[in-house]
Amino acid sequence: MNRRATSLLSLVLFFAASSFAAGRAAHAEDLRGRVQLLAKGGKGPARGSDVREAVVYFEPAAPAAPRPPATPFQMVTEKKEFEPRVLTVPRGSRVRFPNMDPILHNVFSVSGENSFDLGLYRKGPGKEVKFDRSGVVRVFCNVHHDMVAYILVLDTPFFTSPDAKGEFRLTGLPRGPGRLTVWHEQVEPWTADVPLPQGGGSLNVRVEVSKPRLPVHLNKSGQSYQRRDRYGNQ
Amino acid sequence: MSWSGKVCVGCGVLLWLTFATPVQAAEETAETEETAEESGLRLKWGLEVKTHYRDSDLNRFAVPFPFTPEQLPVGETRGFQETVNPGSHLEISTATLLLDATWSETLQAHGKIDFIDLYDRNPTSTDKKVDVDEIWLRFGRETDPATLSERSGLYLKIGKLPHFERQDDRHLESYGLVSTAFNRFEDTGAELGIDLGRHVYVKVSATQGNPVFIRDPNALAGDNGTPDQMRLNPDPELGTGIVILYDAEVEDLDLDGDLEMGAGLGLRFADEGGRNGIDVLAWGYQRTLAETVELEGTFYGGDLDLLRGPADLFPFPALEGDEKREVGANLWLYIGGFSLFGQYVDQELAGLPRTGIEGEVAWSFDLPLVWALGGRQLFPYIAPAVRYSKLDNDFRNPRQTPAPSLAWDWEKLDAGVRLGIVQGIDLTLEYADNSFILGSGAEAENNELLTTLRWRT
Repeated sequence: MNRRATSLLSLVLFFAASSFAAGRAAHAEDLRGRVQLLAKGGKGPARGSDVREAVVYFEPAAPAAPRPPATPFQMVTEKKEFEPRVLTVPRGSRVRFPNMDPILHNVFSVSGENSFDLGLYRKGPGKEVKFDRSGVVRVFCNVHHDMVAYILVLDTPFFTSPDAKGEFRLTGLPRGPGRLTVWHEQVEPWTADVPLPQGGGSLNVRVEVSKPRLPVHLNKSGQSYQRRDRYGNQ
Repeated sequence: MSWSGKVCVGCGVLLWLTFATPVQAAEETAETEETAEESGLRLKWGLEVKTHYRDSDLNRFAVPFPFTPEQLPVGETRGFQETVNPGSHLEISTATLLLDATWSETLQAHGKIDFIDLYDRNPTSTDKKVDVDEIWLRFGRETDPATLSERSGLYLKIGKLPHFERQDDRHLESYGLVSTAFNRFEDTGAELGIDLGRHVYVKVSATQGNPVFIRDPNALAGDNGTPDQMRLNPDPELGTGIVILYDAEVEDLDLDGDLEMGAGLGLRFADEGGRNGIDVLAWGYQRTLAETVELEGTFYGGDLDLLRGPADLFPFPALEGDEKREVGANLWLYIGGFSLFGQYVDQELAGLPRTGIEGEVAWSFDLPLVWALGGRQLFPYIAPAVRYSKLDNDFRNPRQTPAPSLAWDWEKLDAGVRLGIVQGIDLTLEYADNSFILGSGAEAENNELLTTLRWRT
């Protein structure tokens, strides 16, 4: 091929690559909005509920399979609490449960196919659990009734949490129809079909707190943590 | 080695046992349970040991009874009711073995054997030192108070078992007047419980019936009719106690006589987790008193023999018939760490009426994690508790009686706090303000401080 033909080919390839990149940029959408947690009855803001613990996620009509990372996520037991309280992971991810406390914990969940029981373990790196099913996993400690956390196992890579003001922004979303969900432990999940592009403006989501921060739950054996006989009574 | 030295060594051994094998024991237990589950039988056992520091006021009340000089200690001219064992004492009151065998959710056996049994010794210090408190077999599911049942159902419990109206989760070591008088001790027989849906339930029992006897409502029961007192000029080590009439422990299995029939109807509401709940129960019992009941450790007989006084010559004036009847009501209320228990009883005992009311309020607070030992939190909780109880005896004493306190009106206020030291060990500090109205109308007291270190596996 002579020099003139080579130059012409390079120019064609350059314009093709530029057009492709521009095209991709033209199809990545943003979704902005604000989540407001309202008190029961919808009158005024909810007190004692943290909007930063909400999770906002978008599921496009054409599913985008999430890629679980190679390294596991972590949910730590420290000072008789789980940290973080809410953890969002792609389906197929592993989560490790290190114990930073000098006391024994028994982390477990009875959430359907994502159920697990790590048994009693002392301070240390803990064990891993792989979550192959999407859904909400409620995590408890069989020793300490007040310890609760949530793992959201999602089928989409498009998720975020609002800031302290409740504002959120999802980026890199594909054009076309999809479903937006707002999840918070104290509210019923809010969902809406949102076609992208959004058409300007911001989405305002107002949800009412209807559940207690410490959910009613039983221990891993399905029994009450409190026995009311002379042997279980502390 | 002195008694206090022995107690200290004993406590040290218990603390070592507690911390030496926490996690390994849990893992071994898990393995054992897994093995047993495969065969359908799960065995569980536990130990409970209590040591006490007790400080009992010294009180004596002269009794209007014609004791002969030979029946009194040398130098005494009158008989007295007096504090059982006044002063400060360090003692091990109980060593208990607990056994549970579970074949399935609907078939369970339970045993509780007391060794030493100093405070529950019944009815005197010369009673058996090893005592089977409970031994029963249960078919079906039994729902805890103020907890919703899973569904309609029933259970049958057979053996030596606690009264269904008894408060089992007391937050102090002491007992109130009502719980001492009416349902402290176990009875032998059968109990049927029926859950009608999740909220309504029925209890029915047919048992031998606890014999009526006398004991001090403080820690120690008191010695009455013991072999010591048969000697010439007896001067027994333990006093009589300032006693009330109470339902003593069933000593032997004897279902030949009239059974005590009991029934209750209850209503409960609770959340699914069982942390918050309310339960009300109306109940009643009825039986025919025996002419006499032989009790180990005393030459006094129980039931009518007791109520007629020594040699049947000093009966209560209002004594009539042989029926023993109680009606009562219970309230259980739980809101998180807060608990309230209330009980009212109206009894007629061979024509002798009396009523009692008792209420206990307690609040358990989880403490923050600051220290730990052996994988367990040190000081995980603190639970203050207050109990008030009142016993109104609406009958008069006979003119001459060795135990005039039986007809006095009583009030008791127990206040204390329980501190969790570590899982399985707790310390309870409480004070009993025990007051009564004498026959003269004057008010008197017989108070007691009790500190209990309890160790349980």
